[in-house]
Order: sequence, then C-alpha cells, then structure tokens
Amino acid sequence: MSTVLATLAGICALGAAGLLPVLVTVGLRWYAVPLAPLAGAVAASLAATASLTFGGPLLDWFIGIAVLAAGAVCGLLVVRPDLGLRAEAPRGRGRGRGRGRAVDRVAGVVGFLVVVLACIWSLRGLRTPTVGFDARSLWVMRPGWFLHSHAQLLVDLRARNLVLTQSAYPPLLSASVAVAWRITGIHTARLGVTMVAVLDACALAAAALAVVQAGRTVAARVSRAWLPLAAGIAVAALLVVVAAGITEPFLTNGYADPLWSLAAVGAVAFGLQLRSDPSTRAAAVILVLVAGMTKNEGFVTAVALVVLVAARSIGIAGLRGARRRLVTPLVLAGCELAALAWWPVLMKAIHARGATSTFSASQDLANRTDAVAHGFSPYLHVLVLAVPLAVLGGIALRGVRRRVELGNDLWAWLALATGLVAVASALVTGNGAIGPWLLSTAHRITEYPAVEGWWIVGLWAVVAAAGLAGPTAPDGVAAADPTGAPVAVDDPTSDGPAVDDPAVDGLVGAPR
Amino acid sequence: MTVVSALVAGIALVALGGQAVRGARTVDVQLAPRTVHDAAVDDAFYACIDTQAHSLVRPDQPVTLGGTNLADVVTMIKGFGSWLTVADPASTAQVTLTLHDGPGGPGTCLGTTVVATSRGPGGRTVVRVGTGAQVPGQGPPPAPPL
Repeated sequence: MSTVLATLAGICALGAAGLLPVLVTVGLRWYAVPLAPLAGAVAASLAATASLTFGGPLLDWFIGIAVLAAGAVCGLLVVRPDLGLRAEAPRGRGRGRGRGRAVDRVAGVVGFLVVVLACIWSLRGLRTPTVGFDARSLWVMRPGWFLHSHAQLLVDLRARNLVLTQSAYPPLLSASVAVAWRITGIHTARLGVTMVAVLDACALAAAALAVVQAGRTVAARVSRAWLPLAAGIAVAALLVVVAAGITEPFLTNGYADPLWSLAAVGAVAFGLQLRSDPSTRAAAVILVLVAGMTKNEGFVTAVALVVLVAARSIGIAGLRGARRRLVTPLVLAGCELAALAWWPVLMKAIHARGATSTFSASQDLANRTDAVAHGFSPYLHVLVLAVPLAVLGGIALRGVRRRVELGNDLWAWLALATGLVAVASALVTGNGAIGPWLLSTAHRITEYPAVEGWWIVGLWAVVAAAGLAGPTAPDGVAAADPTGAPVAVDDPTSDGPAVDDPAVDGLVGAPR
Repeated sequence: MTVVSALVAGIALVALGGQAVRGARTVDVQLAPRTVHDAAVDDAFYACIDTQAHSLVRPDQPVTLGGTNLADVVTMIKGFGSWLTVADPASTAQVTLTLHDGPGGPGTCLGTTVVATSRGPGGRTVVRVGTGAQVPGQGPPPAPPL
C-alpha cells in the first residue's frame, strides 16, 4: 500500500469515527466535512488515554469510543427527535425565498470547493519528504509506543534513560498516527507526516470555512448579498494561503504546532467571532478539544478558550440570574475541561518522564521579558495592521458588525492575548537559556497569535463588505434598528437562536 | 460609513493578498532542490540505522540505549525508538545499542554504524555491528529546521 493510500485509509478511519457525532451536533454544514476527521482524532486521543489508564489495545478503545459516541448521539435523537440533523437553513429576510436560498447554497458549495482547493495547493510542500526534528524524535515516533503492550507503554513513558521529556505531551497527533499505522500495517515516519499534514489541512479548512460562513450569515442581513458572500469566499481563500505561509515548514514536516494553532484559530472563529448558535458552538467544542489534546501550549490556550466561549454563551443575562443561560454552558465547559485534563493528570499520576520535574521560576524577569518581546516581534508584524484596523472598525463599523450578528471583536482579541501571554509567560518565567530557546521555538509558538491576527483582519473585511452592501429594506429585520443594536430574530427558517436570544444556552440549543 | 467600509475592506484585502503572495513563496521553499536533497539524505540516514538496528535485535528483545553521547541517544530514538522494547531498569536489558561514528565507507550510514553489545555464553562480551543498509558519504545528516 502506498503512503497516499495509507493516509487516505487513516483519515477515512478517523472520519468514520467522527462522522455521526459531528453530523448530529454540527449539522449538515460544509464545515462538518473537515470537522469529522478532527473529531475522530479526538476519539483517537481519548482512546490512547483510556488505553494507558485501563489497559487494552489502542484500536479496541478507538472503536469502542467511536461506537459509544455514535450510540450516544443516536440515543439523543431518540430522546429529542426534534433536534434532528440540523440542515443548513439561511436566516434573515428574503433568504427563505427560492432565489435567495439558491444563491446562499451556491455560495456554500463554491466556498467549500475554493477552500479545499486552496488547502490542497498549500500542502504541495509534502512533495518533499521532509521529516522535522521533533516529528522524528517525538510526534511520529511515539505512535509505535501506543501500539506496545500496556506494561511496555508505561515503561516507555517513565524510563529515565530514554531522556525525552516531551513524551508526556498530549497524545492526539501520535494516537491518530498510531490508528493509521495499525489499520494499514505501515509503520513509517512518512505516513505519520502525511497524516499530520492532512489533519492540519482539516483544521485550516474548518477555520477558513468559518469565514465563508460569516459571509453567508452577513449576506442574510444586507440588501446586496453578493458582496459579503464574495468577500467571505475570497478572504477565506487568501487566509488559507496566508496561514500556510506562516506555518511552513512545520505544516508539512510532522510538527504539532500548526495543528493546535489552526484548531485554536478555528475555535475562536466558531466560538467567539461567528453568530452564536448550536452548530457553531459544537464546531468550537471539537476544535477546542483538538487544540488542547495536541500540545501543552494548545492545552493552556484551549482552557482559556473554553472559559471565553462559556462566558460569551452565558452573557450578561446569565450573570443577571437567567439560570437557563447559566447551567448548560457551565456543564459543557466542565465536560471539555475534564476531557482536556485527563491526559496531563494521568501523566502526573504515573510519574511520566517530563511531567514530574519541579519548576523553578527565573529571577531575571525583566531581561527575559525584553528578549521574548524582541524574539516574538518578527513573527507578529500582522498586529501592526490588525490593531489599527480593529480600532477603526470598532469605532466606525461597530453598528454594522452587531447588525450582521458577528461576535464582538474584543472576544477574538482576548483569545489572541491569552494564547500569546500563556506562551510568553512560560518563556519569561522558565529557567532555560532564553536565547537558544527563542531561536528554536519563536517561529512555531507564535503561529497561533499570528494566524489569529490575520483572521481578525479577514473578519473585518467581511464586515466592511456588509457595510458596503447596505442594510435590508426598511421592513427587513436588521434595518428595523437604525442603531445597529442586536435584535432577536423570529425567523421560521432559522437554524438557531440569535445572538441575544435567551434560548442560546447550550450545545444542542432550542428546537428548530 | 461607506467610505470607512471601503477603506477597511481595501486595506484588509490588499494586506491579505500581499501576505498570501509571501506565504506562497514560503511554501515554495519546500520544493527547492536543496530542501529536497537534504530531506532525501536525512530519510536515507534514518532508514539506514533503522535497518541496521533490525539486524541486531528483535522488537520484543529488551534493550537499552547506551553511550555517553546524548545526541547519539536522541539519534537512536529518532531512528528506531518507535519499535524498540526498552528495558527498565536498564540493567535488565539483553542488549545495549550504541552508535559508532567513524569515516564514511561501505556498510556505514554516512559513517555511522549501529553496534549491539550483549553477554554471550560464559559471560563474555559479544559485540555485533549492524548490517543490511548503507548510505555513502560522511555524516551527520543535514539539520532539519527546528
């Protein structure tokens, strides 16, 4: 079997495991396509953790978890048949009409194809069979450990003479590759690299399709719908190429950084930038789990994102005591945090190499902060553009942004800042030599804030297109509020509640 | 508002377009002949020491990675760490694997060979050298990006 076929088999296995849970929670959306293999990767990660916790082969756990997840969502449909599969249903005045709906659907198909083609083109670096240093020493080496016996896996993770302290890193990448190795019988670093690259592309496609979705959401609120639709598709395609440039060579050499970074950017897009509805929140959950189960930096960022998405879901009404808006987001966030924490807690419990070292903070904080600022700045030049653009947009286009139901830009900036501060804090307070540390990692660990900065710019382009397209006619829903304040929408074709709708309270949300 | 919208959209699209061109060029570097050559040499080296290790130990045989050079231990982990059965404690290992770095020549991987040391009958030390693969030239392989 060739590496291409083996990669296809591995991705199909992950996709099959994630398909049903994604279809039920996310719905029949184009962005569900790249989310299915990512959900399967989350299942593989949980399978690796369960295998280490309780014993038993990885593949058995993987199949068991996939069947359990499928059974759970089927059971949910039996208990709540009203949920059904959330078909794509455009919102807003006029979108239910034949022509408006047809244009929206065509935009969805075109946007999906454009994003997929851009992602495939961005993976052309795979023609060179590069295997990165960390990839060979950890990410695509550790899958072999997950195929060992339980006793040997414990030895692999604990034996001090194996020197690798990074082997305690979260398992999603290695577990996904292990599933591919196991089902194809091909145990090569090259297959590991191609599997990782395709998962990277899935996360990138999901994040880009969020921008296409933003264009479609916005189009429902303006008179010249083609403008935001075209802007969404064009911006999404450009963002794919931009993100590929920022994340290369690590996008195609087996490193974990692009996956957690791109998944976190997607989680921000779905959870904090798009209109909040059950489908986008479900997409955000999957992407948060991918980010947090891929690498330690992703874990810290994912925890922050869980808190931010929950805070947005709860909103002011929740804080004022609307219990319905308080409970479900908190329960969901608790479940996400429990899933994310399982692996790191287990590493502590088994005294894994790299998980039990004592931390001693550096005393030279001022110099290290200065070094980190200088080390990061070459990779964060996007902020020079994104900050003034966001300020300008926030002042002049705030009303448009609220009218078209995109999230407040401050949420995305908070998400960017928490990820950046988390990584910078580790460098500032750590006791490793700061110069070599920055030299070898600054490019990789700034991928998330750099790509997130470009996503913020892209979303403002879509909002600006909405501003150019003008509001709907005076009898339209959006135009009814000249201040641009959020409005609750009573749209029979709606696929979810509006942003300030009290029914916005959880993953599956209100019945259609 | 229309002017501001046009301004924001224009700036964002131009910036995205410019950065996309830059990004495409970055990806193209992966296809440069030098990058392709370095990747091929790197792959050949690790495939070579993997084959030599397979000629010395079985996957189920408890081994330890020896030597005083940390870089050699990392190189062995990169080459065949995924399938080895690591002994813990190391004293229970049947075989100790090390790398021997010397001049490039037949039977070596860019001058490196995998060496297995074990206890034979009567307690005498048995040293075997890995076989089955070679890569001409002198190591180490080109350093991949960190």
